[in-house]
Amino acid sequence: MMTLLRASLLVAEKDLRIEFRTKELLSAAGLFAALVVFIASLAFYLDPTEARRIAPGVVYVAAAFSGVLAFGRSFAREREFEAMRGLRLTPIPRAAIYLGKCIATFAMLSLINLGALLLVALFFHLDLERPLLHVAAFLLLTTAGFTAAGCLFGALTVVTRARDLILSVVLFPLLTPAILIGVVGSREALDGATGSELGVWYLLLSAFFALAIGGGLTLFELLIED
Amino acid sequence: MAADFEQVSVKRLVKTYGTTRALRGVSHSFCAGEITHLEGENGSGKSTLLRLMALLGRPTSGEIYFGDEPASEPQRFRAQIGYSGHEPMVYPDLSARENLDLFARFYGYRDKEERLKRLARLEELLGHGAYLGRPARTYSRGQLQRLSLGRALLHSPRLLLLDEPTNGLDREGLERLGRILDQERARGAIILLVTHDERFASAVCDRRIRIHHGKILDADAAPGP
Repeated sequence: MMTLLRASLLVAEKDLRIEFRTKELLSAAGLFAALVVFIASLAFYLDPTEARRIAPGVVYVAAAFSGVLAFGRSFAREREFEAMRGLRLTPIPRAAIYLGKCIATFAMLSLINLGALLLVALFFHLDLERPLLHVAAFLLLTTAGFTAAGCLFGALTVVTRARDLILSVVLFPLLTPAILIGVVGSREALDGATGSELGVWYLLLSAFFALAIGGGLTLFELLIED
Repeated sequence: MAADFEQVSVKRLVKTYGTTRALRGVSHSFCAGEITHLEGENGSGKSTLLRLMALLGRPTSGEIYFGDEPASEPQRFRAQIGYSGHEPMVYPDLSARENLDLFARFYGYRDKEERLKRLARLEELLGHGAYLGRPARTYSRGQLQRLSLGRALLHSPRLLLLDEPTNGLDREGLERLGRILDQERARGAIILLVTHDERFASAVCDRRIRIHHGKILDADAAPGP
């Protein structure tokens, strides 16, 4: 029987190959994130000091909305032609389907979110030189937790009719803690906090990720059962 | 370790969806080297039986045995099951070749040569058309049906479950499918076929089971004319 890791990488490779060909998810979610950043920059920019306070929130709002779009799209591929059923017929571990989708979606969302961060830096005149590492790390860690939860509930869209509504209604309340931690951590990093001062935020985001991925590995099979 | 078996049995199989009882205690054994035609009106429970035997869902009660082993650990038996249903269960943005190569890898064929050999073996069913390189979403109903059957046959499963495999196939496709089912029977596969094409069923099937309202009405009768 195929190992969990190899099967997960195979599922991820499949998703990335389809995305590379269609560019549906990157273009839709990427454009959406860029629009959110652009509109927020017009609506909320006051002065450089206020901009530094608001900017992290804008990045995470863009990440949250484009993320939901990405999860919906990623699982829509599994719904079409009942492809997920074909996957479930194979002897790969069910957890590998979940992990594979997580890996591929994380790769795509990371690209989109880092792009959104650069746009925010541009529109909000942020000096990212010094805190870049921390701000990007917070964003990627939040994206990882976000993806782990999103791919679990994205599976619901394969088996329910109220698809996108279910995804948004279930996912946003669940993600609120991670978004808040990410925003506060990034804000402190932009204000010049040191690595040790930011440690608690890293810890909380890691705990969120561990909880989300643990829940995903445990519950995914139940959600995709006929 | 993947299991091998010469017989698949269902025992007192019941499946309910909400208040609807799709299967009401179906018991039967299916043997290697035989093609069984499941017949019955729409909604009689044929497709539900096939889906349960494909381990795509759990019965409400009753058991499925692969040889002497109950299907309590479905993962052990999946490599030995091929299923083709109402939808093709492939990725629409990949071509037939890419889909079949991908599924061969999911079934554990790591060696590229081996995968190519398996694809070549399916050429009789798939044909040599240029369509094989196009995304599956551009296929006709018949081409999708061939691809779906190719996916089900790809890994030479011991148990082959075909739900309406003749839908969308032209005469040439039906002849090819008939030849392939003969080969699979000779290989020792256990084959269950749901079709409303009586002529095709009579030509290829060894046994016939009639299902009515989720129950087997009569079994093992010789196929009719």
